[in-house]
Amino acid sequence: MNTPEFERFLATLYVDDRARARFLEAPLAEARRAGLTEAQCRALESIDRIGLEMAARSFSAKRAGKSRLPRNH
Amino acid sequence: MAAEAAAGAVVEATNRFADRVGLGWRPELAAGILSNLNSIDVLEVIADDYFDSSSRLRSLKTLAAQAPVVLHGIALGMASTVRVDRKRLEKMARLVDRVKPESWSEHLAFVRAGDIEIGHLAAPPRTASTIDSTAANLDAARRMVGSLPLVENISTLIDPPASDRDEPTWLTETAAASGCGLLLDLHNVYVNSVNFGTRWGFDAHQYLARLPLENVHAVHISGGKWIGDAGHRRMLDDHRHDPPDPVYDLLTELASRCPNSLTVILERDGSYPPMRHLLAQLDRARRALALGRATA
Repeated sequence: MNTPEFERFLATLYVDDRARARFLEAPLAEARRAGLTEAQCRALESIDRIGLEMAARSFSAKRAGKSRLPRNH
Repeated sequence: MAAEAAAGAVVEATNRFADRVGLGWRPELAAGILSNLNSIDVLEVIADDYFDSSSRLRSLKTLAAQAPVVLHGIALGMASTVRVDRKRLEKMARLVDRVKPESWSEHLAFVRAGDIEIGHLAAPPRTASTIDSTAANLDAARRMVGSLPLVENISTLIDPPASDRDEPTWLTETAAASGCGLLLDLHNVYVNSVNFGTRWGFDAHQYLARLPLENVHAVHISGGKWIGDAGHRRMLDDHRHDPPDPVYDLLTELASRCPNSLTVILERDGSYPPMRHLLAQLDRARRALALGRATA
C-alpha cells in the first residue's frame, strides 16, 4: 500500500520539523488531513517514533553536510 | 606440516574465486590510494560526483586507466513508487558510456518525493507496490544505461511504516522482480539486525541465510556508532569507523556460501585514519574471504 502520496507524506515528516511535530501530536488526524488511505493512516498511527526522530536528525545532518561540502556523501 | 597443509588448502580454495578487495574512492584519500594501487584491487567511485563536471570526468578517466573502477550511484531513488528521474538516468548513462566501468550500482532507497529532497537514502515501505515500481525503475535504467545496476540494501534508523514484509523477503523479491544482482552491504545487514532484530525475530546471520546469495556479486563493509539515549539506542551506519568484528564474520559466512567471485569495497566517509590502517582493513577482509572460501 505504498503510493507516491504516502512517500511524500513520509518525506515531509523527515525534513519538516513543524510538520513532524504536528503529526506526532495527532498522527491519525494529520494523516487523514493529507488524504491518505485509511490503511496508510493506521500504519502511520503506530509509526516508530524514536526511529522517526533519529532518522529526521540524521537526514538533517546529511543535508547540512552537503551544503557545506558539495562532494560529501 | 599440518599448518602448511591447512594454509595450502586455504590458498587453493581462495584461488577458485577471483575475489577482489578495494576501497571507496574519496578525494581525501586520493594521495594514499594512488600511492598504494598495488595493494588495492578495485576502486569504487561515487558516480554522482562526476555528472556535471568535464574536468572531474577527465580525472576519472585517468583513474580508470590506472585501476579497475566500478561506479556507485547515490541519488537515483530507485526504490520508489515515483518514476525515476529521466535526466538523472541520462547522466548516469552518459557517465557509464564514457568511463566504461566494470559495473555500476545504486541503492534500494527513495531520496525524494516530488519537490522534497530528503538529502539521503530513505528506506521505502516494504510492499508489493514498492517492489513493482522499483522493478519498473530498474528496467528503465537498463534501457537507458544499457545494463542493470547491482542494487544495494540500505541501513535505516526507522522501520518504514506500512511495510508488510520483512527486509530479507523484500530484498529477495525485489532482486527477483528486477533481475538485478545484489551489492550486499554487510554493515547495513548488521545495523538493521541490531536495530530491529528483536522486532523482526532474527539476527544478522539468520538475515544473511534468508538472502539469495547466488545473486550477490559485490559487498560493502564499513562501520558506525551507537546513537540515542540509554534504552533507546540505535546503531548509525556513518562510515566513520572501522568495520566491527561481526561484519567480518558475516563476510566469512557469505564467502563460504556464495558461488560468485566477490568484489568487496571498504567504505570510509570521514574520520580518515592513515592509509596503512585502511590497507590493514583490506587485508583483514581478504583473510575473512579466504577463511570462508576454505569451507566453501
